[in-house]
Parts: sequence; structure tokens; C-alpha cells
Amino acid sequence: MGLLDVLPWRRDKKAVSSKDDDLFDEAFQRKLEYLSLVSRRVFAGRLRAERRTKKSGSGVEFADHRDYQPGDDFRYLDWNVYQRFEKLLVRLYEEEEDLAIYFILDTSASMAFGDGQKLRYAKKVCAALAYVGLANLDRVTMVTTSDRVMERMPETRGKARIFKAFRFLRGVKAEGTTDLGDAMRTFVAQNKRRGLAVLVSDLYDPLGFERGINVLRYNKFDPFVVHVTDPGEGHPKLHGDVLVYDCETGDEREVTVTAKVLARFGEAYAGYLADIDRFCATHQVPYVTARVDMAFDELILRVFRRGGFLR
Amino acid sequence: MILAGLPLAQLLAVFGAVGFGVLILYILKLRRRVVVVPFSPLWERILRDKEATSLFSKLKRLLSLLLQLALLALLVLALGDPRAAESLIRGRTVVVLVDASASMQATDVAPSRLASAKDAVKKIVRGLGGADRMLVAQMDAMVTPLGPMTADTSALERELDGIRPTDARADFPRALRFASDVLRGVESGEIVVVSDGALGEASDSSGPVHLGSAKLSYVEVGKSDRNVGITQFSVRRYPLDKSRYEVMLELTNTGTASEDVELQLLGDGALVDVTKLRLQPGASLPRFYPQLSGANRTLEAKIALVDGTRDDLPADDRAYALLPERRRAKVLVVTAGNTYLEAALLLDEYLDVTDVAPGAYPQALAKGRWDTVIFDGATPPEMPQANALYLDPRGPGSPVKVTDALTQPGFDKIDRKHPAVRFLALDDVNVALGHKLVPEAGDKVLGASDGGASPLLVAGTRGGYRFVAVGFDVRDSDLPLRTAWPLFIIDCVNWFTDEDAQYLSSFRTGEVWRIPVAGGVASATVKLPDGSVQPVPVHEGRAVFLGEQAGFYQLTAGEQQTQFAANLLDRSESAIAPRATLSVDGQPAGQVAGFRVGVRREIWIYLLLAVALLTALEWATYHRRLTV
Repeated sequence: MGLLDVLPWRRDKKAVSSKDDDLFDEAFQRKLEYLSLVSRRVFAGRLRAERRTKKSGSGVEFADHRDYQPGDDFRYLDWNVYQRFEKLLVRLYEEEEDLAIYFILDTSASMAFGDGQKLRYAKKVCAALAYVGLANLDRVTMVTTSDRVMERMPETRGKARIFKAFRFLRGVKAEGTTDLGDAMRTFVAQNKRRGLAVLVSDLYDPLGFERGINVLRYNKFDPFVVHVTDPGEGHPKLHGDVLVYDCETGDEREVTVTAKVLARFGEAYAGYLADIDRFCATHQVPYVTARVDMAFDELILRVFRRGGFLR
Repeated sequence: MILAGLPLAQLLAVFGAVGFGVLILYILKLRRRVVVVPFSPLWERILRDKEATSLFSKLKRLLSLLLQLALLALLVLALGDPRAAESLIRGRTVVVLVDASASMQATDVAPSRLASAKDAVKKIVRGLGGADRMLVAQMDAMVTPLGPMTADTSALERELDGIRPTDARADFPRALRFASDVLRGVESGEIVVVSDGALGEASDSSGPVHLGSAKLSYVEVGKSDRNVGITQFSVRRYPLDKSRYEVMLELTNTGTASEDVELQLLGDGALVDVTKLRLQPGASLPRFYPQLSGANRTLEAKIALVDGTRDDLPADDRAYALLPERRRAKVLVVTAGNTYLEAALLLDEYLDVTDVAPGAYPQALAKGRWDTVIFDGATPPEMPQANALYLDPRGPGSPVKVTDALTQPGFDKIDRKHPAVRFLALDDVNVALGHKLVPEAGDKVLGASDGGASPLLVAGTRGGYRFVAVGFDVRDSDLPLRTAWPLFIIDCVNWFTDEDAQYLSSFRTGEVWRIPVAGGVASATVKLPDGSVQPVPVHEGRAVFLGEQAGFYQLTAGEQQTQFAANLLDRSESAIAPRATLSVDGQPAGQVAGFRVGVRREIWIYLLLAVALLTALEWATYHRRLTV
């Protein structure tokens, strides 16, 4: 510890960075392992082969048996087992399907608003989903965006590479304005291989959140929207005459905050969330709201249940 | 409307200056608090709707400015102290005399007349005008101003709370003189008497009281007259049998209905006698209890109504008395031998007599403390530290100068009020030879010959001790052969020891008491019946104290402790029927007028109230977000 570290603001910095260091601690990693297992157990079979892939899988490594269910391909019935136990079981194989998953993490200044809770939460979501993807031997790529693509973690595979993802996420800082449209155009230009594009963002785009998602859709990516929200932002604790200052654009506006104004702001905020939900539903884009006050593992399970992420 | 405060020009200047300041503050915009938000377009969305109401907002802002200017105008106007021209009268100067005499303890108006009187005065205080000033004085045996002349209503109310009732009668003339002195030279003075009216005539030894130009108002308190009281109570020991005593008391029914009363007499706290009596309306019933015994020191009389109810004035239902202390007086007789004197002293068995020859006098005097020293024809060089009776004194040691010899003097003039010679028949005493005594200033001539020109019998005080000097040898007269002789000796001894037959068994409250104390004591303390202790001054060997509580007192002067009792015993105070009218100097007192509660003549108070109201309104609308 240097002499300057004694100073309070220096200590705060240290505290923030140590907060980021603790983001993916051992407990978090154990939770990832657990989520990975849960994802296999709960969704095995039911979701398998739901995702259509552009490439035909050639892996034939035996993985497991499961009960036959009407509609299963007869070719995968294990007749030897049937002969011995008179039970219809289906053979399961590790399909080495070469699926690409892109995590697009919004790192605009609004994600760090307040104490940066949204960004930390988003990083955790990315890490968890990346771990599940890596565990499924998918090709995982991470990019950070604001009004353009900022940083990139190159495509990687295998569960052991999760630490590379951790390192990448730890280095991410929130700054700049949001322009998802431009950023996604750059993204699709850089990534020719189509796949699942998980957009983790607060969707505070002054030009409209639809543009970014539409760019992904039009370029045949499968967009999956994880909308990180902070309920406190819908009910700001303001009072009296204030000058509202936008943390990204720097726009200023004089407002006299009264109870009525606060109520109307709450309605506007709820309306904005409803617009996003409606848009995603209309365009069949899987959409999950990630409230920062929600337990992290519960959110991941909701993502799994929502479908579209696990094969 | 006129302005009693700042003139109009100044008010306009103040309004202009401060109003300009307010205007500048409204034109200047305060820098707003900056609040960082994550996504301002959401605010834009709601503010688009708000734009439509901006005109109303501007109007509200204008209203707010007008409100501030209105507040300022009210405050500035208050500074001007505006008043209605017709209401601008000179302030009154009011002296309120609150009767705190014994009759005000009557409980016919709950909780008591005095409390009711205080409430009445508080109403007057609350109705004081802005320029009015008031002084509140307690009227009992004295008149005590409770504070300075002031317009401070809260101070006046506090002073009123300090009034306590007394067991004494009110000295109405003195209170009126005090009030008229206070109001002397004042144009619009007013005296308000708050009382039940049992005040007696407004006249004293200086004549009737004249109030001058001061207006007199009267507030009547009380409504009932039901009362039976003890109006006389006295006790004395028999001179020759001091173990027995007699009691005289008098009960008076001052009400308008006959009452059955139970009278209890307690000696040293134990019941001595119980009597049931019926008293007709307005009747006084004297009772005499001879040959009582049993009590040693204190006597108390109590009355109660037989039907179990209480009369309206409990203060006169008890009376207290102290029996004279029964102790042997030590008497030193310095004589060469006087059978008559020795015989006279034998009559009182409570005398402890020691005879010494003149030569042995100094040794005998030094032996102990003597209540009385009798010098029979022997005069010491200086007066002893004791009361002394000089029979035929001579020489420079005599307390009075002895001059010309008188042949066959007689008692032409006798002071029959003096305790030493009271009730004695000395007129025809024959004296063969005597000497003229020359009294000093303060001495009293008890008996004198030659038409009063040649004092023969002189009493006085020297160094705090009493003396009586007889200017002849009793053996040169036929006095020893008379009944008056032993009585004279005993009377002298009793006077010296304060045990004369006219012993005052109790003092009357509201009078100045002079209680004898031992010589050489400069100050004393007295313990009152309520337990409080007060210092009292000692003047000429007597503690001087004005007592206003009935009950037993204890006086401590040096090592000497004296008990005495005090009683109300005032028929006029026992007569508690309230008087509807009061008149002084032939003029009836009027009703109290011009004190209306809650109405003060200053408009500035209402202006400030309006400011407070507007501020409260502004506060409420601000917090309801009506004006922001």
C-alpha cells in the first residue's frame, strides 16, 4: 500500500477495483458449475435440437440414455437395452455442433450509472451464460459496445477458457454514449459467422433501442436480449427545482420535481419497458429483463426457461 | 386611521427598498441543483406535456411574488403601528387591590373566593389595552405590591399566582391610600378592588380616605353567608393556683340560618370538653370554662356543624391559645429583715425566694440567674442583670434619681393601667416619710404625690431589664397592712416575669406583635405555623413581627425559645356575606368596564397575525405542491 492509498478517495478506488476482482470469486465459480449442471439436468432432452444449426453435427460420442418419448427418432432407440430390460431408451450423443455465441455487452456510461451496479450485474450474466456455452463446447465470443464496438474477446471454446472470459470482463470499463444501431452494424461486419447474439444492455439508446436489434435480425443473427434494469431508476429520489443532466449525452433540462411529476416519470419508465417487451415479442426475439435486485442465479434459470439459449 | 409608529414616508421608503430587493431576488434565478440521470429522453417525454402548462406556472410565479410583496406590505404597515383615530385614547393606569384577608378563604365559590378573585383579575389583565399599565397589590393586614407597574400581561398573571390567603383582616384604608399614592398625578387612574366587600369603613386614624381623581371599581366575589366562627378565645391561669386555668370563648353565627354546633376544647392535644350548642342567626354565644385543669401548655378550640356539613369559612373554626409557662420564679431578696416583705412573698407558692443580707448580696447574685431581685432599703452600686424592685432606693446605684424628702406624701395620681399597680387600691395609703423620685425619659410614673408633681412609684427599663422603684420605706407607711401590699409585690414579680394576670394567651393576626426576648439579643427567628422560618428584628428587648397566620409560633432568640399562639378572632372577617356595593368617601364604586378579553387596540398585532396566516398558507400550498 502506497502512501497515497491512505487518502480516502484512493481507498475508494481500491475498493471499487477490489469489488470488480471479487466479481468472479470462487463462490461465483461454484455457482456457475451448479448452473451448468442444472441446465443439463432440467433442460436435457426437452430443449435439445430445438436450435437449428447451419452445420450438421457429426459427433457420435455416447453420452447418456433417456426414456423414449413419442416423436423421438426410432434410429436412436437402444435395442440392446430393450432386449435386456424391455424398456425403450434413446441413446444420446455429444453432438459437436459448431455453434457460435456472441455476447454483446453494452458498456456505455449509463451502465455505470449510480454505483455501477448494472454493469457488474451484466458482467455476471455474461460470465455465467458464457460458462454454460463453453461447457456445451460452443464457440464463445465477447464484445463490448457503446456507440461502436469497443473491445473484443476472440472466439474461444472449452470450459477451461472461462478464465479468459473473466479476465476480459474484469477489464471492461463503462464510458461513452449508446448507439446500438451503429455498433451492431460494425459488429455484423466484423463477424461473418452467424450465431446467437446475446445483447446485454440497459437499452438506453437515444436513437431507439430497436435499431440495434433489427440490425442483428436483418443480418440473420439470432438476437437474445437481456435487458439490465435498475428499479431505482424508475423512481428517482428527487425533490424540488433541479437541473437534469444526462450522464451520456450531457443534455440538460430544468425540471421542478413534484409528486405528480415523479408519478408521471414512473409511468413513462414503465411504458418504456413495456415498449421493449412488446417489440421483442412482436419480432420473436427472446427477451429477459434482468433486474439488478433479482438473485443472480434465478435470473440465469429464467434465461434457460425462456429458451433460445441452450440447444 | 393614524400611524403611531414610523411615519408614512419612512414606511414607503422601507417598502420600496425591501420590495426592490424581493423583486431582484425573483428576477435572479438561483442555480438549480444538478442531478445526473442515466437517460434524459424519459424526462423529455414527460416535460413535453408540462410545457402546455407553463403559462400557469408563470402565473403561479407571479402569484408567489405578489404574495411576498403582500407579506412585506403587512409587515411594513405593522411597523407603522396603525390605529383607529377614535380609539386612540390615553392608556389607563390601573391598580388592582386583591383582597387576601381571611374571609377570602371562604369556599362558597369553588375552590375559594381568592381563586375566584384571581380568575376575575386575570380576565381584566387579558382585557388590558396596549397603552394600559397595571399594578397588582395584595391587600391583607398590609398592602403588598406584587410587581412593578407594567403592561406585560404574562408577568401580571404570574404575580397573581403568587397571592396567598392570610388569616388576617384586610387593612382597606391603608390599601386605598397606597393605591391613591401610586395614582397621584396620573390622569386616567383606576383602582379596582376585588373582594367580598368585608372591608369595613375606608377611614383610619388620619380620617377618611380621599381617592382624588382616580376611578374606583369593585369586583364582587362570593355568594353565600353561612358561617359559624370562634370570635373570642382567651385563657389564663389563676394567680394563686397556677395548675388551674379558665377559658373564655365566644362563638358567633354570622349566617342567616340557625346552626347546631359542636364545640371541642383540647388541652395539649387531648379532649378536655365537648359541648353542643345552637346558635341563632347573627347571635354571639359567650362560653366560660372555670376551674379547668389537665392542660399544661397548649389549648385549642374547634367547632364543627352537627349535621356533618361544613360552613363556608374554615379559617375561623379553630382557635389557639398558650397557657403561661408554669415555672418557679427565682427571687433574691436583699434585706436586713422585713417581715412584711417575707410574708407577702410567702403567698405565692411558685416563688423560689432567697433572702440575703446586703453584705452577702454580691456572692448571692453571682450564684445563679435571678428572675427578680428585691432591694429592701439596700441599693447596690450598679443595677443587677435582672429585673429589680427597689424599696426606698438611695445613692448613685438607684435606677432613678432620689431627691427631696417628702413628708406625708400620698398617691394622688396612679397609673391604673400599668400591670404592677393595676386593680390596686393605693389612693388612701398613708406614708409618713418618702423621697421624690426623678424618672428618666421612657420611665413611667405609677404613683405620684402632690398632684402628680412628686413621683413616688416609678417603673422603667434599664439595660433590657425592668425595674420598679418605691420612693419610701414601706414600714414608714400603712401599705403593708393593706391588701394591696402582697398584691403589689406579686404583680411586680409577675410583670417582671411576664406572668401577670393579663397575660396575652394569643395574639391577633394582622397586628404587629412585640414579643419580649432576653436582653442583649439583636435578632431572632420565628417559626410559623406552616413550618417556615423567618428572621425578625428585635427592638428594645422585643421581637417585632406582623403575623398573618393563625396557629402556634415559636420564637428563637439566642438560646431562649418562646412559644405563642395567634388567632383570627375577628367578627367582621367571620361575617362572610358578600357585599354587593362598596363605597369610599361617600362615592359608590362602579362596575369594571373597558377590559374586553381578546380585544387589544393595536392593529399591528392583527397585521402580524395576517402575516403568520399567509405564511402558513404558503407553507401548506408549497408542501401540497400547489404553488411549485
